[in-house]
Amino acid sequence: MKKLVSLVLALVMVLSLASFAAAEEPFEISILLPQFPSDIDFVMENNPVLKAIEEKTGVKLAIQWGPNSTYGDILNTTLADKNPPMLIAATDARAPLIVNSARAGAFWDLSEAVQDEANYPYLAAGNDGVYGNIAVDGHVYGIYRSRAYPRGGIYYRLDIAKEVGFDREVATLDDLTELAEKLAGYSADTYALNMCSYTAGTINVITVAFGAPNAWGVDENGNIYPAHLSPAYKEGLDWLRHLYEIGGIDPNFAQISTSDWDNIERTGKAFMRFDCLDNAHRQQEWFENNAGVTEQIFQSVGTVAKADGSITVWPQNPGFNGEILVLKSAVSEADLPKVLKFLDWCNGPEGQTIINAGLEGLTYDVNEEGFRYVPEEKSDEYSKNSQMYHNNINQMGMGVPGNLESPKSAVNRGATQLRQRYEDLNLLLAPYAVANPCYPFVSETYTAFGAQLDQIISDAAVQYIAGLIDEDGLRAAWEDWAMQGGEMITAEYNDAYHAAMAAE
Amino acid sequence: MSVQSAKPKSLHGSGREYWTKLRSNIKRDKWLYLLLLPGLIYFIVFKYLPMFGIVIAFENYVPYSGVLGSEWVGLKWFQYFFRFPAWVTYLTNTLILSLMNIVFYFPAPIILALLLNEMRSLRYKKLLQTLLYVPHFISIVIVVSITFVMFGPSGIVYKLTQQILGTTINYMGSPDTFRWMIIGQTVWKETGWGTIIFLAALTNVDTQLYEAAMVDGAGRLRRLWHITLPAIRSTIVLMLILRMGSVLDTGYDHLILMANPLNRKVSQTLDVFVYQQGIQSGQFSYASAIGLMKAVISVTLVVSSNKIAHLLGEQGLY
Repeated sequence: MKKLVSLVLALVMVLSLASFAAAEEPFEISILLPQFPSDIDFVMENNPVLKAIEEKTGVKLAIQWGPNSTYGDILNTTLADKNPPMLIAATDARAPLIVNSARAGAFWDLSEAVQDEANYPYLAAGNDGVYGNIAVDGHVYGIYRSRAYPRGGIYYRLDIAKEVGFDREVATLDDLTELAEKLAGYSADTYALNMCSYTAGTINVITVAFGAPNAWGVDENGNIYPAHLSPAYKEGLDWLRHLYEIGGIDPNFAQISTSDWDNIERTGKAFMRFDCLDNAHRQQEWFENNAGVTEQIFQSVGTVAKADGSITVWPQNPGFNGEILVLKSAVSEADLPKVLKFLDWCNGPEGQTIINAGLEGLTYDVNEEGFRYVPEEKSDEYSKNSQMYHNNINQMGMGVPGNLESPKSAVNRGATQLRQRYEDLNLLLAPYAVANPCYPFVSETYTAFGAQLDQIISDAAVQYIAGLIDEDGLRAAWEDWAMQGGEMITAEYNDAYHAAMAAE
Repeated sequence: MSVQSAKPKSLHGSGREYWTKLRSNIKRDKWLYLLLLPGLIYFIVFKYLPMFGIVIAFENYVPYSGVLGSEWVGLKWFQYFFRFPAWVTYLTNTLILSLMNIVFYFPAPIILALLLNEMRSLRYKKLLQTLLYVPHFISIVIVVSITFVMFGPSGIVYKLTQQILGTTINYMGSPDTFRWMIIGQTVWKETGWGTIIFLAALTNVDTQLYEAAMVDGAGRLRRLWHITLPAIRSTIVLMLILRMGSVLDTGYDHLILMANPLNRKVSQTLDVFVYQQGIQSGQFSYASAIGLMKAVISVTLVVSSNKIAHLLGEQGLY
């Protein structure tokens, strides 16, 4: 018996040694990514898209998903984990734990790598200004996830607008008001503006359109002040309050979950939304795929001029949405170049195409002119494939050198007109985008109390819009904000801002 | 069994004497002590060892640097908490919710247990008990979802009150209704489960007492008042003392599920704040400091309420 056991053991050892020598295990890269809900679940096993990435890069990819609605929680607990993944997508580059961990040395300092054109040509092709924006104390710790700038804006249902007698471009705030009022009158069970419990985007779009600063402003004396103290901020809130009063906003919007936001438009309950502009063509696509719509029924709004003719636009992001960080505790110094090589590939033409669009014959076809498109008869199949094999992989996309996809996307069907318009609008709106002057700075008080303080402002805004408090109530909340730490944050940002100005 | 009949030596005494007595006790009752071992290990591994993690409340803890490597900041986080007056709101919200819980939820299982105890049909009583335990096993997420379906803007209760009163009551989005909704959900979910301990206490009541009282002509209410209630009084006091230990615990999951911008003024409690700071903002040290403060207050409350119970002639917790 004993002999048999030792024989088996010896055999196992020999076999395992043999397999070790025969096939060199591919380098495994683990990554934590946010996952947005979809109708069909993502498939990990035998996934052609993942296989393609693995074949091209020679790495084995292990993706860990964190649901987007609680991604912040998951990110924080993952950072505290003993065995974290090698890469994590941090959606908020200024989250306290990210900044603190960076300072403690939890992430590899990539400042040199992002300048290294010889080894990482695509990473080095990124925008130095944006790298500067995500840097902590002057060190670049991550590869930013580039986003269209600006991306925030307004879109509405074109067909309903025509029905209620609004048949022209929205060019001024007065046009917008007229459109909203007319949409509000469409029917008793529908609303003009689609709002949910996530109100920051909506409020930012309208207040900045009225001329309020983006989070923080600089006054004529060169001092930093919070956006809500600008008169235009209240004008924006008044606009929403008026729309609410005339029945243009769901009275229970504050209790509607963010995950229902899209559905409200899809079920035809509301006709206008202040959010990311690219949602316009996504919604159009949904209607084309699920409701048999063939005409363009959504329209995105371009510049909205104020009474004095000036234009200001909320950009939604500072040119990027978070970053991909490389964790020191999971990646050794020897392995770092391999990981960076992989990230570099993701930013190249091949990587961008697979990450953003999927695979030819699986999620798209290529037409005679060499553009990507989805043939009409395959749209159901390709949409299913996208969800099963490709959905949310684009969260890994960084695109720091700009769009290098090849083949590029083609103009196709109604949605693509909107897609084209979206890209045009990015260029058109960019000069009017209002930047947050405090983005590069870290305020200690904001780090400790910011979450609650932001809530005071946004809760008061919601209550004001819903008519639960009047102007005095709003001002009382702002005073509360100042007393609870807002004043101190303003002072800290002012110090940092003045120091930066003096240094320039 | 022989083990039961022989009394272990009393462990009073000091120093060496104590240890020799303990050793001889262990030697004699080794099987009983072995029985204790798994429980002991559980408490050491899961309750006592993690306590060393409390030191992060005095550090600027960054997971990468570890508990030993993080910067020592002393009482910084405790001072931080009191730096701005918001803590008064958190504390008030916590205490009001807790007080309402003690006044409206705490007696509920006692009353229900007394009612169950008076049931004549044993089979029906058993069936009822089982049904009453069911809500306890329903996740709070489901309970909140059910509440939304019933009390939300398109729910039946919402519509009914609209019909009857002519005005709408925003059950789910108003600071006035928030606490009542929370208490209501707690009562619905936990009352049945809470009866277990009181029903167990009620089984210990000597039936001869009832018979004697009946002979003396005592009615149902009199028997309840003079026999049943005094019999479970010590259990009630015990439960109340234990409840005092969690006066500052409101739980966070329930409140976060029910919170929205319209009722945040009253839904922000200490536990919610700890969750927001610790998990959502990743400020583990700050959250631990507040948690530690809460724990210290809770222990003080348990000890002092136990003292009060002693002064009132009750046995108390220990």
